[in-house]
Amino acid sequence: MRVLYIWLAFLFTQFIFSQELFVVTDPASNIPANSLSVRLGNSLFKEKLENGYNYHLMPEVTYGLNKNLMFRGTAFISNRQNNLVAEGGSFYSKYRFYSEDDINSHFRMAAFGRYSFNNSDIHQEQIETMGHNSGYEMGLVATKLIHKVAISSSLSFEKALDNTSKNPFPNELGSAATNYTLSIGKLMYPKKYTSFKQTNINLMLEFLGQTINENGHSSIDVVPAIQFIINSQARIDLAYRHELMSSMFRTAPNGVYLNLEYNFYTIF
Amino acid sequence: MKNIFTSFILLFFAFESNAQIIKADIIATGLTCSMCSKSIYKQLTSLPEVASVDTDLNTNTFTVNLKPNTNVSPKIFKDNVEKAGFFIGSLVVTADSKTLENYINLEKKQIPNSKQVQVQILDKGFVTEKEFKKLAKKHKDIASYSDGNENDFHFKMTN
Repeated sequence: MRVLYIWLAFLFTQFIFSQELFVVTDPASNIPANSLSVRLGNSLFKEKLENGYNYHLMPEVTYGLNKNLMFRGTAFISNRQNNLVAEGGSFYSKYRFYSEDDINSHFRMAAFGRYSFNNSDIHQEQIETMGHNSGYEMGLVATKLIHKVAISSSLSFEKALDNTSKNPFPNELGSAATNYTLSIGKLMYPKKYTSFKQTNINLMLEFLGQTINENGHSSIDVVPAIQFIINSQARIDLAYRHELMSSMFRTAPNGVYLNLEYNFYTIF
Repeated sequence: MKNIFTSFILLFFAFESNAQIIKADIIATGLTCSMCSKSIYKQLTSLPEVASVDTDLNTNTFTVNLKPNTNVSPKIFKDNVEKAGFFIGSLVVTADSKTLENYINLEKKQIPNSKQVQVQILDKGFVTEKEFKKLAKKHKDIASYSDGNENDFHFKMTN
């Protein structure tokens, strides 16, 4: 916990440049028009009630249709049934509807929506349409860059549906949730740019909260992350997710993320 | 017939807004990351009219060198920076002064007869929003400036 506070103090006092390419949340900015981004998301979360780890593999493709609109498709693969099995996928879209840019600063807002399908067993109260639940999510995100400090925050509504007729959503659980996030990031290296080839190192801190609308059960997680940007084109994220508080039933709240991403600019 | 006439007028204006641009110095706004700069760089280098692009990542300045005898509208720079997800904070073009005849000079300083001149484009979308508001107030008597027509351009001399 102390380490976290030191990290926080460090982030707030030392902002020089900042980044908004967050690991778990998405900023209000989109990927460039006519560009394609390919990501391989990996997560390994420790099971609380049994031995072992829950591994999720999420291959993802994002396409920027124009300067304001992007689309994303994700496949969900996990080891919940002991060997790796494809469990579902999701479609995501984000529309940037407000931009106020100035030299080294901006304020942007975007609306996003996701529809996911998943056939895995429903085993926890937490609603997660990224890899666990069938359902949809709709929300707003605002990202502000002030004096080179970036802060992004989102608010969304998430609704879980049956994970196919085989795994219906349990009646005793609340199926609708409100999500709220706060993310901050900072560029650590380089202090001064010399070329596109320089590796950039970013530090990020994200807070992720959820409240089940029907019963008020809530959780808040913190995700510190380190990110490497290679050749201004590829991205490696390493993050750790830790539950800060929770009044809801979750089977594997703590774990690590490893994302590998590559961007193809102006492909069409 | 009316449509053909309108198209003809539009075509005329579109043609008129082109200038023989040798070089464009762009300062982009809203970014501090090299991945963001690279998306602008890639967008600009993908244009067939562009010979090369030099970048200063610390100031987000892109110096676009165009191929010889290229006639383009300043709008292509705006469109492509915006496609990358950002905006233009400043655009200074080095152009053949004769081809700028249809551009509107906002300052008293006149275009010299020398072949190459440097002018800053001052229209909406080519300066920061704050600066445009200031300029619109200053030049409120020039109707064409604040009417938002994308095919006429206003400038001031920088050299």
